[in-house]
Amino acid sequence: MAEPLLRVEDLSLHYRTEGGVLRAIDGVSFALDRGEALVLLGESGCGKSSLAKALLRLLPRNVGHFSGRVQLDGTDVMPFSDERFRREVQWVRVSTVMQAAMNALNPVVRVGEQVAEPLRIHRGLSRERAMERAAAALDQVGVARDFMSRFPFELSGGMRQRVVIAMALITEPDLVILDEPTSALDVLTQASIMNTLKRIKWETGTSFILITHDVGTSSELADRVALMYAGQIVEDSPAAAFFDRPAHPYARALMASVPRLHSREEPEHIPGTPPDLLDPPAGCRFAPRCPRRFDPCGRAPGTHVLEDGARRVRCWLFEEETA
Amino acid sequence: MAEMTGQDRAGERAPAPRGWLRDAQLVGAFVLRRVFALMVTVLIGVYLTIVVANMGGQVDELREIQIRSDVSEAVRADPEIPAEERGEMVERRVQMERERLNLDQPFILRSVDYLRRAMLLDLGRAEQMHSDLGSRQVYAIITERLPATILLFGTANMLVFFASIFAALGLSRRYGSLTDRTVIGLAPSSAAPGWFYGIFLILVFAFIVPILPAGGMVAVPPPESPWAYALSVMRHMVLPVAAMFISSIFISIYSWRTFFLIHSSEDYVEMARAKGLPSGMIERRYILRPTLPPIITSFLLMLIGLWSGAIILEQVFNWPGLGTLLFQAIGHRDTPVIIGGVVIFAYLLALTVFLLDFLYAILDPRVRVGFEGGER
Repeated sequence: MAEPLLRVEDLSLHYRTEGGVLRAIDGVSFALDRGEALVLLGESGCGKSSLAKALLRLLPRNVGHFSGRVQLDGTDVMPFSDERFRREVQWVRVSTVMQAAMNALNPVVRVGEQVAEPLRIHRGLSRERAMERAAAALDQVGVARDFMSRFPFELSGGMRQRVVIAMALITEPDLVILDEPTSALDVLTQASIMNTLKRIKWETGTSFILITHDVGTSSELADRVALMYAGQIVEDSPAAAFFDRPAHPYARALMASVPRLHSREEPEHIPGTPPDLLDPPAGCRFAPRCPRRFDPCGRAPGTHVLEDGARRVRCWLFEEETA
Repeated sequence: MAEMTGQDRAGERAPAPRGWLRDAQLVGAFVLRRVFALMVTVLIGVYLTIVVANMGGQVDELREIQIRSDVSEAVRADPEIPAEERGEMVERRVQMERERLNLDQPFILRSVDYLRRAMLLDLGRAEQMHSDLGSRQVYAIITERLPATILLFGTANMLVFFASIFAALGLSRRYGSLTDRTVIGLAPSSAAPGWFYGIFLILVFAFIVPILPAGGMVAVPPPESPWAYALSVMRHMVLPVAAMFISSIFISIYSWRTFFLIHSSEDYVEMARAKGLPSGMIERRYILRPTLPPIITSFLLMLIGLWSGAIILEQVFNWPGLGTLLFQAIGHRDTPVIIGGVVIFAYLLALTVFLLDFLYAILDPRVRVGFEGGER
């Protein structure tokens, strides 16, 4: 069996805070094949942005504990020094479109220069060649060449987001991590950008990790969905299966909470609030809110593999199916 | 939905071309507006100084008393004038002197006249003070002292400015480290002004361990050769520069460090880190470049603010600069010198602000578009 492009095993990231150790990511494992789009779904504060930061090694100063394995094509990049990671991984193999894309561009550098910058740094291209490639990359995301010589503040939010996407694609990385790429935009621009991303995925075969809290947006691009809850992945399923037959009780509750256009069913809310990551519940972290809670839930559930390895669910309900 | 590309491009039009003539007009209008606003500012500042320095006209009463006593003394000393005519003579001469100095007019009219002359840099003659070369022209008196002040305070402030910027950049990278916390801990040392440290430095390095001169600008008598002269001036500068450096370096590092910390958490800096850019490039292009306008502002304002804190320090070190001059002028109620100093300062300040407007436009494209249109 071929190595997946990205294999993350038992990744943990804890922050030191005033209140104690915050377990933002706690033993996360998943894999991603080439050309595949994984949607990382979860509500605010579940650790999905921390996961993106951990993969890119953009760690804040208060990291208390960072461990696990992150393999790119079978090579563990975790032992890489910061300098080697910068030279060989950042933007060369993994690039990102960050959450606050509105401010992700340097206000005093022309758009073209910024898009071309990674090529000049990582590939050593001359300014002319890099700018030529930047123009092509902007073309790809639907931004006219004339905007190369403009400054970011002269662009609308949607266009800035496109520029940032062009910048993420310019070095032809294997993987692009999109952290809430459309959260600050209006619905029409969102749809238009999601369509651009779909087209690029189809044209270039780039792998995507799309981080979002929006079930609707996630369904657009996803091949697979990984649902996060309180710093852990609770379900990792093919997109179609996830949206049709969510397995984990949290996934079911989440899907039931989404309003549907062609249905008379009222959306249901999930009672309770997500646990405090400073002091998570001892057993299953969803147990306090779970409608199907039963005896074993006081202990931490293992991850159970279902449907011939296609689905992985962290829940006691599925124990007998694995056994 | 594969043909979204068309819709993707909706709302994106190529920038409309604009001619250089239009740009020139915009720049011209901008310059005129700024010059006018700044002139009004200078005018108001200088007029207020004239009113205050003349104590709303009271200084003129003092001058009249002075004139009367001078005249009567001169008349009394003249044996040719008969005693019975002396009283009338004094009155006549005082009247002439009053007319010559326009003291017979109300102060409000004279203040306008003073203002007109001050704005034309016709600073007039000092009442009592004179330059070392013997000139009584206020302009000569001030320009004679200016270089000494610029030399001393320019050196000290440049040292503090550049040292603190580089130290602050370094500290913002090592936020929370022992060095960082030490510097923050030392910041309150700036609560004491430069002259305070100056007194101790003089005590230690001029008297306990006499290796440096206690004051003055150059040895007495001044060395003949230019090199020896320069060396002597530098030796005299060490203590006052050190005093100013000690009193402002830590607070300066502290505030720049905070400034850089704020700006290094901008989203585009984070993005630059994700892009895997070398840290030197991130610092230059993503932290320093976007923050250059405020840095330049504080640099230029520091340069023209040189003489503001100078008075006591120059007194302590007996430095023959503008601070000492103004101190003496205030002591002597030599109004023309005080006003002259303020007029020159006001003009320098206005010039700096004007320069800043242009530098901002060059450095920050967001400002540039405001008045330059589409030139690129």
